Amino acid sequence: MKRRTGGLRAVKGRGKRVENKEKTKRAILRAALELFAGKGFYRTTTKTISRKAGIAEGTLFNYFETKEDLALYFFEESLSEIIQWYEHDRRMKRAALPEKLFGIIEHLLDSLAPYEEFIGAVYLRSLAPASKLSPFSLQSQERHLRYLRFIRDILAEAEEEGEIPRLGDLGAHAFAAFQVGVITYWLQDSSRGKEQTLALLDRCLKLSTHFLKKGGWDW
Amino acid sequence: MNRNGKRGMLGRGFQLGKLGLSLVGSYLGYQAQNFLLGEGEQRKVRFHQQASRRVRDELGVLKGAVMKLGQLLSMQSKVLPEEALRELSDLQMRAPGMHATLARAQFKAALGKYPEDVFREFDSEPFAAASLGQVHRAITRSGERVAVKIQYPAIRSAIENDFTLLRSATLPGRLSGHLPTGLVDEFQKGFLEETDYVQEADNLDFFRKGLSGLTYLTIPRVYREFSTDRVLTMSHIEGEILGDFLKRKPSAAVRDLIGTRLAEMFDTQLHWLKKVHADHHPGNYLFRPDGRIGLVDFGCVKRSHFEISALMHCYLERTWQKSEAAERQFFRLIFGPKVPHKRARKVLPVLERLCDIVYPRDASANAVVDFRDPKLHELGSQYSWHILREKLIPPECGLIGRAQMGLHHILYELGARVNAKEVWRQVFAAGGIEERKSDALKSS
Repeated sequence: MKRRTGGLRAVKGRGKRVENKEKTKRAILRAALELFAGKGFYRTTTKTISRKAGIAEGTLFNYFETKEDLALYFFEESLSEIIQWYEHDRRMKRAALPEKLFGIIEHLLDSLAPYEEFIGAVYLRSLAPASKLSPFSLQSQERHLRYLRFIRDILAEAEEEGEIPRLGDLGAHAFAAFQVGVITYWLQDSSRGKEQTLALLDRCLKLSTHFLKKGGWDW
Repeated sequence: MNRNGKRGMLGRGFQLGKLGLSLVGSYLGYQAQNFLLGEGEQRKVRFHQQASRRVRDELGVLKGAVMKLGQLLSMQSKVLPEEALRELSDLQMRAPGMHATLARAQFKAALGKYPEDVFREFDSEPFAAASLGQVHRAITRSGERVAVKIQYPAIRSAIENDFTLLRSATLPGRLSGHLPTGLVDEFQKGFLEETDYVQEADNLDFFRKGLSGLTYLTIPRVYREFSTDRVLTMSHIEGEILGDFLKRKPSAAVRDLIGTRLAEMFDTQLHWLKKVHADHHPGNYLFRPDGRIGLVDFGCVKRSHFEISALMHCYLERTWQKSEAAERQFFRLIFGPKVPHKRARKVLPVLERLCDIVYPRDASANAVVDFRDPKLHELGSQYSWHILREKLIPPECGLIGRAQMGLHHILYELGARVNAKEVWRQVFAAGGIEERKSDALKSS
């Protein structure tokens, strides 16, 4: 009996520790994002981040070794946020496929909008093969896989409904590549409110769904 | 920017080409079927329906100016077969639009906030679609019912692309002189003006003030705090569009009353305000069973230098019959200062016959014009054809002509009988409007 309570307390304590750790991680990320939005990715130092987050610089390194780790954490968090938003949004449940996919990218862009400069910097960094942000790093691959599964499930639903023909895993890969293209376009879009990106996104998704529906692979 | 524009233009070119190809394809299919099976009237009707549905779908996807062209075509009652017309008239209100998520995103792109952060309630399903956007119902935080018009993203560059294509497509017509270059430019200017909702808000204010004497007319009020150049929030207006209104079978008296009021509105705008609501497609009018009228969509407004009172004087007095100088003056009024006199004279006989119907000379004659009169239509199309053949279209009259054509189309659909002469007499004599006119001019 006693042992059991002790065990429970231990689990509870560990739970609390994990929770606290997550809390600090989020506080650091919030501080960093604020600085990135104001000063830019390159000019923000770990020193200023730790000062803003109200922790010692040494503590910061316990959580994030480099600024790249911070960026990775940011992308993981925003992917989790999108999945959660998608699963709880009532409109997305009954929308047609082009609208669902539009909603996902639009939601992503909306959350990225304040950190445009930061995203641009991360894009450049990810081109370096040794970078943790490179699409071939294990961390990036893990996140990418989670994203592919998320999209794959949405496409599978549309396949079930007969909205599009069976695409297999290729559909999710194609959409991921498309999303990279859209973000690149978005970064360079100087129209007000980035409405050119909205138009591009809408037309591409409507047309591709239309063509897939019409002829599948045979057209 | 330029590069993107080019890509869009190629895309549109491809789609237009596809439209042409797919139409030709099914025409050929029809011919082959015809050859094998012999012609049946039933099949012909069905075929027309299919072809025009395809036209409508493709135009809907293209949006922008090409769709406007579709709308213009659909107003040419006698040019297209009845079935094609019915399909095309769907374009006027029910154009394929943005899904709720896109409309919401575009709202934010324009106003910086999502609609649910601005309004107490916002209906994500649009209740009306226009070629440049769509309209959603909403309720403001203070509880007022409003209509929110949201523009399709990047429609402006889409229109510019369409006109680049239109210019090359109309090159033969322009070279032969049947289509003045100025006309295409004027249409482009008109369409581009329609994309600026700030301009439209100014127009709404101008006409609300200028036409306030016409108590049967309602024009929406603008909520500037929720409007930009791409989103326009207006007070909600009750009423039904023409097609739905006619389904209720309104009495001839109500239809005549509405017809007379529409004519009065048109004459008042031309004569007193010197500005005309030039987009007379039926979706812009809302009718109520007691004869009240709501006028919405003020995107296309034409400032007019058209001297309607001088022209009406000519029509009523047949001045051109009095001397050659008077005849020249009359032609200048209709076709502009550089009118080729000889060619204009060829149009005169048809014009005189039209005039005898619309403005009968004999004071005792029944001056009521039945807009369903086939004779009127026959003369009307003869007149348009003559003008085209004699190359008499003055560029500055393009949009006024479009407005008048639209008005006549509505009067035809309505089956209204209007005493045009009397309407003009009353508008001209309405001294009370004088003050409103100066008010409106001041505010503009």
